[in-house]
Amino acid sequence: MRSFVDNIAQWSRFQKNRNLVIQVSFLIFVALLGTYLFSRAFQLELSLSHFRSRAGFGLSHTFLVDYTSNDSRWIAYFTGVVNTIRVCLVAIFLTTILGTIMGVARLSKNFLTSRIAWLYVEVLRNTPLLIQIIFWQIVFLQLPQISEAITFGNTTAISNRGILLPWISDNGGAQIWFIFLGIIAAGSLFLSYFLNKREDESGKYFSLAGKKVNGNLTGIIFFVLVTVVTFFAFGRPVSMDIPEIIQNNKGTWMQTGGFDLSPEFAAILFALVIYTGTFITEIVRGSIQSLSRGQTEAAEAIGLSKYQSMTLVILPQALRSIIPPLTNQFLNLTKNSSLAVVIAYPDLFMVSRTIMNNSGHALPVFFLILLTYLFLSLCISLVMNLINRRVTRIGT
Amino acid sequence: MRKIKYTLLISALFAMAAFSYACASEDSSEASSSGGSNTLQEVLDRGMLKCGVNDNLAGFGVVAADGSFSGFDIDFCKAVAAAILGDSGKVEYTPTTASNRFEALGSGEIDLLIRNTTWTASRDRELKQDFTAPTFYDGQGMMVYVDSGYNSIDDMEGATICVLQGTTTELNLDDRFTGTGMSYTPLTFETNDPLQAAFEEKRCDGWTTDKSGLASKRASFPASAGGPEALKVLPETLSKEPLGPLTRDNDSEMYDVVQWVVFGMMQAEESGINSSNVSSIASNPPNPGVARLLGASFEGGEVQDFSFGIPKDFMQKVISQVGNYGEVYDRHLVPLGLERAGSLNAMWTDGGLIYAPPFR
Repeated sequence: MRSFVDNIAQWSRFQKNRNLVIQVSFLIFVALLGTYLFSRAFQLELSLSHFRSRAGFGLSHTFLVDYTSNDSRWIAYFTGVVNTIRVCLVAIFLTTILGTIMGVARLSKNFLTSRIAWLYVEVLRNTPLLIQIIFWQIVFLQLPQISEAITFGNTTAISNRGILLPWISDNGGAQIWFIFLGIIAAGSLFLSYFLNKREDESGKYFSLAGKKVNGNLTGIIFFVLVTVVTFFAFGRPVSMDIPEIIQNNKGTWMQTGGFDLSPEFAAILFALVIYTGTFITEIVRGSIQSLSRGQTEAAEAIGLSKYQSMTLVILPQALRSIIPPLTNQFLNLTKNSSLAVVIAYPDLFMVSRTIMNNSGHALPVFFLILLTYLFLSLCISLVMNLINRRVTRIGT
Repeated sequence: MRKIKYTLLISALFAMAAFSYACASEDSSEASSSGGSNTLQEVLDRGMLKCGVNDNLAGFGVVAADGSFSGFDIDFCKAVAAAILGDSGKVEYTPTTASNRFEALGSGEIDLLIRNTTWTASRDRELKQDFTAPTFYDGQGMMVYVDSGYNSIDDMEGATICVLQGTTTELNLDDRFTGTGMSYTPLTFETNDPLQAAFEEKRCDGWTTDKSGLASKRASFPASAGGPEALKVLPETLSKEPLGPLTRDNDSEMYDVVQWVVFGMMQAEESGINSSNVSSIASNPPNPGVARLLGASFEGGEVQDFSFGIPKDFMQKVISQVGNYGEVYDRHLVPLGLERAGSLNAMWTDGGLIYAPPFR
């Protein structure tokens, strides 16, 4: 008669059975660990109901959102999300341009150009982002104090409270006018496209005072004309908002009007653009180098200039291997933007920290922050995947 | 050979699973009973007090280069350790931030929180934590440059204010400005150093935090930016900020010990007992009141026992090892320029709020 131990030995002879035991015990281990952690976590208050109460704190940057301290914590949080999106969008746009230029410069035959690009990458890639953010904060604080602000006529005022630029202000009806302009812009693009196509096919074009006017120019002229005409037709919907620095009767210097580029926004923007740009430089350089030399030589052989061969032959092909790692860098940039908290830029992380401190409930707010960053990252991934699909389809 | 190895691996995994289950079940039973836990007993069993503190506020709690902590709040941790364990050195300090301090206490990571924490109704009620007697009466103030010409917060219409995140500070600031219909721009920093950099470059017109904090920042303001003389703290006080130690809700034994150690130190000052004369007074108490406080015998009579669950002579240990309230104040807060006379932190006999209920 075979004993129980013999049965087990027989059963465990099969690899499959042994694996099953290992996997099941590991699962049990993970499940127990999870239960333990969650049981600890759920002793704490996990609801977000306190977000409906009055926020009660002010925010220095309220871009697009008309936030006051009387609004709920949800509105305050939303203001933070908008600030994060604002800095990330601008930074992604600028860092892509910077990275592409530097990536091409890195491969330049000009010794000085390629060395500068190399130095830029090696120095700024290898220093912590946090240090760079604080560095830029200090740099922007070195601008003149507001009582000694530099002004250029009535158009620009520069001080360490912010760089004020002329902007437009709504005289009523600006929104409708902007929507109308959007439609006109689309119409102008279509007009240019149509005229260019007609020129390609039949060789017909407009001429003005004996000079050829191509489709692009026609579109631009059309857009400018309609803009000017509708500006008066709509009864001057917008006017110039001239920045000004004034001192009130108590002696406080204040900025009024214009578009305020604050030192905090500028510091986080510069740091993110320049830091992420180093990685994009390397991505662009690597992708260009991965192309066969034959591509450049072929472009030269058919008489394309250096610029043409780069923009028409090399970069479009390199894009295929640029886009996927570029997506990673955009995601990193978005997540790194939470470091804005150290220099008083009210991004979503900073606002939620304030809410955490005021309410005392850190854990549920952290879950909300996690979900928000997850959502932002997934949006970026979605857009980049669409672009990637388009780029990889060309030529196949 | 192979087979043995697998058998070993499998049994090891089972052992791990069993162990983790044991841990989990043990901890969860402990945690589930934490509603009415007995932290005092835990501290006695452990022989070490875990105290949550600030590690970056001059005078209240700072950590030195060698890792040792000192400050006003730290001394109250030491006093509680001296009372419970008889040794003021048996404290394990946990630096906490403004945002994680309450959860550190709630989760049992620390036994006691003494981190310049303001006693408010919502904190007392919603956080399920109890405030003991305040150790320091603070209030939020506003610091400005002398040459700004401001004499009151009412002058600061449209000003930019630097404010440190993490307390009720931003809320009090907003109440003061929007409550009186004044506009302002808050610049909210997470940490102190970037805030100071911005204030030194006059990025903001005012700097607001607790007056104790402003005093310590003003005292150490760098000469390159004008030194302490370039700054003044406006007389107005924006808020009441009673600072004191916290224990968990329904943890009466621990709560009572912490509360009465604080009161004992105040009473000791009132009775003229300090760290240098406590042993001679304890051996021959001048009156029954002092004898009750020190847990000593008055003319051979029986020693009063308040049944705190710790040695009867706990106040002797506290005073000999840490000192009375006045000594602790003088040691840490007077060097910051926080004068005691005339402030809320004077003894009640001198017109302040430092008052201990009777020891009897």
